[in-house]
Amino acid sequence: MTPIRAAVLATAVAGAVIATYLTYTHYAHVAPICTSGGCEKVQHSRYAELAGIPVAVLGLIAYCALAATAFRRGVTAATAGVVIALGGAGFSAYLLWAQLGPIGAICQWCVANDVVIAIAALLSLVRLATEPS
Amino acid sequence: MQRNRLLLIAAAVGGAAVLAVVLILVASGGSSSHEAAPTTTAAAAQADTTPAAGSGDVFAGVPQKGDTLGKASAPATLTVFEDPQCPYCRQWSVDTLPTVVRDFVRTGKVRLVYRGIEIIGPNSEPALRAIFAAGAQNKLWNVASALYDVQGEENSGWITDDVIKNAAHAAGADGSAILAASPSKKVTAALVAAGKDAVAAQVQGTPTFVLQRAPAVPQQLPVTSLDPQTFSTTLSAALQ
Repeated sequence: MTPIRAAVLATAVAGAVIATYLTYTHYAHVAPICTSGGCEKVQHSRYAELAGIPVAVLGLIAYCALAATAFRRGVTAATAGVVIALGGAGFSAYLLWAQLGPIGAICQWCVANDVVIAIAALLSLVRLATEPS
Repeated sequence: MQRNRLLLIAAAVGGAAVLAVVLILVASGGSSSHEAAPTTTAAAAQADTTPAAGSGDVFAGVPQKGDTLGKASAPATLTVFEDPQCPYCRQWSVDTLPTVVRDFVRTGKVRLVYRGIEIIGPNSEPALRAIFAAGAQNKLWNVASALYDVQGEENSGWITDDVIKNAAHAAGADGSAILAASPSKKVTAALVAAGKDAVAAQVQGTPTFVLQRAPAVPQQLPVTSLDPQTFSTTLSAALQ
């Protein structure tokens, strides 16, 4: 595995860990460990679900898919990785806006996810640019 | 960099943009499963602030006094910590409360005690005051339920005097009296007491359910799902 694919895989794993924890707190109906003070508020907001599916679950699926693209070499997998990571980063930016605006609270786990998905998107772009044909 | 690769990157970025836009459109325009409320935005709340009539049917014939719903002789007390702006609380109230009232409260197994707390934001306070004020008319649970029927987006300012009046009317309560009593010391004391109870019960979110069967120490109900069947199963097990 090339270094850039390994880096994409590492970010996918990091994101999956965060998403798994938030998925657990959602279904266990427990408050996430939180130092920012806003996790509970964000978790209970209407933005925590998308069409009835917890956003954390969607994130977990996305990170698993991103990890799968990292395991495969080739331009097709790299392209899929960009679509997933960059699309996820765009949606995460929307959720960050929701936290700063309508919800009025910041969830540290969500911010951590924003950082991870932004890095993943950047690495995925670099990978697509450098992936051998 | 090859021209073909640049085109591929552009296509991938375009695909990602489409994916993000679709997700955002669904998130901003659609409703989650527990937000099938008549209103989810401030604008919509202004347009439709009248709860559906008949929400009182759930409580019809059930003894209600102040913040308590059910028979005083019930061997167990289930204290419910809620925020009127909390979507999960709405889910509990709309989907599950009728089942709990039918199977546990009407049968005299459990009585419910309302503990409204402000956890979503300051816009919860006028609703909480109205709900506690409705306790003087023994319509607390009806008004709380009617407000969930028109729940708007968190902290959007949806809880206005008109919303409260309409909810009170739908609940069969006197809205003017409720608004007049909302700033009273008695209501403030009820709010403060609920907050202290939440701290004592180590409430970290809403809804939280605390079950007490004297002389046992109150315990938080280990709720894993708010759907009626699972909740009833959990409550039944705790009552064993």
